[in-house]
Amino acid sequence: MPIVKPLVLGACLVALPGLASANALTVYSAGPGALIEHLAADFSEETGIEVNVFQSTTGQVMARLESEQANPLADVVISASWDSAESLHEEGLLHEYLSPNAETVPDFLKTDHYVAQGVSALALVWNRNSDVPQPADWSDLTDAAYRDQVTMPDPAQSGAAFELVTGLLTAMGDEETWSLMEALADNGMLVPGPNARALNPVLQGAKSVVFGAVDYIALGQQAEGEAIEVIFPASGTVIAPRPMMILASTDMPSEAEQFVDFVLSEQGQARVAERYLMPSRTDIEALRPTIEELTLIEVDSEAMSAQREAILDRFREATGS
Amino acid sequence: MAVRLALRLPRFTGAGVVMLLTAATLLLLVGLPLLYVLLQAIFPGWSRGELSGAFGLFIPLLSDPALLGLLGNTLRLGIAVVVICALLAIPLGALRALTRVPGGAAWDLIFLIPFMIPPYIAALSWMMTLQPQGYAQQLTGVSASGFLFSFSGIVFVMVLNVFPVVYFAVSRTMMSVGGRYAAAARVSGAGGWRAFWRITLPLSTPGIAASLLLVFALTIEEFGTPATLGAQAGYKVLVTGIHERFADWPIDIPGAAVLSLLLVILAMAAFYLQHWLVTRRSFVSQTGKPAMAEQVTLGAWKWPVVGLFSLVALAAVAVPILAVLATASTATLSGGLAWDNLSTRHFEALLANRSGALKALGTSLALASGAALVTGVLGALVGYLVVRARLRGKGVLDVLSLLPNTMPGIVVAVGLILAWNQSWWPIQIYNTGAMLLLAYACLLLPYPVRYASAAFRQMGESLEAAARVCGAGFFTTFRRILLPALAPSLIVSMLLVFAIASRELVASLMVAPAGMSTVSTFVFGQFEQGSPGVGMAMSVVAIFTTTGLLVGLTAVSRKKLPIAG
Repeated sequence: MPIVKPLVLGACLVALPGLASANALTVYSAGPGALIEHLAADFSEETGIEVNVFQSTTGQVMARLESEQANPLADVVISASWDSAESLHEEGLLHEYLSPNAETVPDFLKTDHYVAQGVSALALVWNRNSDVPQPADWSDLTDAAYRDQVTMPDPAQSGAAFELVTGLLTAMGDEETWSLMEALADNGMLVPGPNARALNPVLQGAKSVVFGAVDYIALGQQAEGEAIEVIFPASGTVIAPRPMMILASTDMPSEAEQFVDFVLSEQGQARVAERYLMPSRTDIEALRPTIEELTLIEVDSEAMSAQREAILDRFREATGS
Repeated sequence: MAVRLALRLPRFTGAGVVMLLTAATLLLLVGLPLLYVLLQAIFPGWSRGELSGAFGLFIPLLSDPALLGLLGNTLRLGIAVVVICALLAIPLGALRALTRVPGGAAWDLIFLIPFMIPPYIAALSWMMTLQPQGYAQQLTGVSASGFLFSFSGIVFVMVLNVFPVVYFAVSRTMMSVGGRYAAAARVSGAGGWRAFWRITLPLSTPGIAASLLLVFALTIEEFGTPATLGAQAGYKVLVTGIHERFADWPIDIPGAAVLSLLLVILAMAAFYLQHWLVTRRSFVSQTGKPAMAEQVTLGAWKWPVVGLFSLVALAAVAVPILAVLATASTATLSGGLAWDNLSTRHFEALLANRSGALKALGTSLALASGAALVTGVLGALVGYLVVRARLRGKGVLDVLSLLPNTMPGIVVAVGLILAWNQSWWPIQIYNTGAMLLLAYACLLLPYPVRYASAAFRQMGESLEAAARVCGAGFFTTFRRILLPALAPSLIVSMLLVFAIASRELVASLMVAPAGMSTVSTFVFGQFEQGSPGVGMAMSVVAIFTTTGLLVGLTAVSRKKLPIAG
C-alpha cells in the first residue's frame, strides 16, 4: 500500500511541532474557543511569545490539571467557574499576582491570586417560534402553559447553573427554592447535561425555554439569526465570573504575568466583549447588559461552595435527575 | 546465560526476539497505563504522589446502591445490543457472503460509513430528526421522541452504530468457510440449508463470537450515545457515571478508576465466555488451497433481500448523514428546513476558521493512519503469539491486548497521562502528538488482535510446517505464508482502526497537546460553544474525507474493496 507512506510521514510531521514548542507559554482555557484563540494570536503578535492553547470545558480543564499534578504543564488557566479557582488557591497551587491593568476591575472580581477574564450571567432563553408565551421570571415556568417545554443545564456539570441554584437559595431561601425546583420537575422540566445540551433542543423547537442558560452563548446565537430571546428575570439573577490564574508551578512567571496583563488590557477586554461576555473592566464597553444594568443576587459563594455536595444531592432529589 | 535464555524461547531465535519485542511493546502500550489506573484506584492520592489510604475507596463505592443500578443498566444495554446486532447482522453478513446480492461490494462500502460517523454525532442526528419539531416532524409531521428517549431508542441507535463489526466479520468468515466446506457437504448429499446450519454457521463461530464480544465491549464503554439520549431517558450506565466523576468539579479520579475496574471485570467475563466458545473445538478451515466461493442465486428473493439491505442502509447511513447535512447547511436551527434558511455560512466559517479546521482534519487523518499501521503490525504479531507460540504467560498477553476495549477512553487517557507525564522519562512524549498516537494504538489494538487471532485459529498449522520443511525461517514464513493469508482480515481491522481513530473523542479531549486539535475535539468544541452548525459542517467534511480516502485507496490498489475479502 504505497499510499500509506505519505500519511505516516504526515503523522511524524504533525507530531514534531509538539516537540519543538517547549518554550511556549501554555494556556488551558474553558470556552469560548474563538476568544482564547484571538487572545493568544494577538498576544503573540504583540510580544513575540508563542502561546499553546488547550481549550475545552471547565470540567475537562480541571480533570487535566488534576491528572497532571505530578508534573504540571499549564502556565495560565482560565476557567468558567469561580469555585475552581478558590479550590486551586486553597491547595496552594496558584501564583500570587495582581495585574496593574486590573485597577478598574471591581473588587469582587479580583483577588491576589486570580482575576476575572470576563463575566457571564444566567438568563432565561425563549424560542420566539414556540407556542408558549414569553416568560418574565424564573417562577413563571411552573405554569401549566410550559408543561414539558423547559430545559435546565445540570448544576453538577455546569458551574454557572450551580451559581444560579445558590443565587436562588440566597434570594428565596431553602424552602421556596426547592419547592420551585420540585414544581418545575413536576411540570416536566428536563435536565439534560451541560449548557449546550440544554440550549440545542430549544433552538430547534423541541423545547421552548431554557431555565438558567449561560447568556453569552445565547446572545451570540441570537446575533447569528436564531429566533430566540435572552431574558434577564426582574427578580434577579446571578453572574458567573471566569477566573484567570497563573499556576505556582510555572517556569515562565513573567511571561504568564504579561499574558494576564494583556487579557486585561483594552485590546484584550475588547476581544472579551466581542464574544458577548461582560468585560471585567468597568471602563470597557460591553455589547450587552452589564452588571450595573442587571438585577443581581449577591451570593456568598464561599459558604455555598462548602455545601456543594449537599446542594447537588438536594437538587437531584427535587428534580429526580 | 545466553544459551539458557535462548532455550526458553520458541524454536526460532528470530521469532523469539520478535516475540519478546512484541510482548515488551504490548506491556508498554497497554500494561503501563492500566497499571497506573489500577494504582490510582488502590491509592486515592496516587496522582499527588501519596500512598496513604490504600483500598479506602472500594467499600464506600461498592456498597453504594446506585452503583448496582449502573451495573445492571450497563449489562442490560450490552446484552440487548449484542442480541439485536446478532439478529440483524448475521443474516445480512450471511446473505452477502453466500448469495449474489445485487450491488455486491457496494454494500460493504455503505456499511463501512456508520464507522465514519462518530457515535455522538449519530445520536445527535437522531435526536434532531425524531424529537418534537425535529426534521422528521418538519417533513412528515411525525415525531418519535417517546421511542428515541427510551431504552429501546438507545439500543436502536447503538445497534446502528456497531452492527457493521458483526456484518463484516460474518461475511468475511463465511466467504472463506462457505465455499469449500459447504461444497463438500453438498457433494455428500446435504441440501443448501442443511450445509449452512451444519457446516458454514458452526465453522464461522470464532469470527462471529469474536465480533459479538467486540460489540459488547464497544457498547459498555461507549459514551456518546448514552450521554446524549440517556440523560433524557433517565438511563444511566457505568461510563456516564465515570464521566460524571471526571466532568463534575471537584474531579474524582480515584472513584472513576474504581468504576473502571468494574467495567473491566464485566468485559473479562464476556471475554471468558467467548474464549470458552471458541476453544472448545477446532475450527481449522483454511488450508491454503485456493477456493472459489460459490454464491447462491437469490431468484425470487432478490428484491426482498435488496429491500432489507436498503432499509438498514437507510437507517444506519442515510438518516444520520442527511440530518448532519441539514444542520450544516441551514443558517439557523430555529429556521428549520426551509429554502430561505439554506446557507453555506457554516462551511464558510469552517474555511475562514483561524483555529484551523483543515489542520485538525490533517492531524486526525495522519494520526489515524499511524494508529492503523502500528496496531496492524502489532496485532498480527500478538495474534500469532497468542495462537501459536508455546510461551508461558501468553494468556496474559491475550487478556492484555483485549483490555483496552473494556476501558473507557477517558480512563485510558488518564492512565497515559499518569504514566507518561513524569519528569524521569528520558524522552518527554507527554504534551506531544505522540500521546494521541499512543492513546489510539492502545484503545484500538484489540481490533487487529481479535481479527488476527481468529484468522490464525482458522489457519492450519500445516501451512507453516510446510514452509519450515522447505527451509523458510520465521521471517520468511511470516511474510510469505502467514501474512498473505492473514491480509484480508488484517486489512479490515486496520480500516476499522483508521475509521475509529479518525473520530475518537473522549481520549483525544484529554491527551491532545496544547495547541493541537483533531476533528473530534474541534467538533465537540463547536457544540460546547453553541455552534452546532459549524460542528456539523466539520463532521460532513470529515465523514466524506475518510470515506473518500478509503474508496480512493481501493481504487489505487486496483483491487476490489479489501473488505469484500
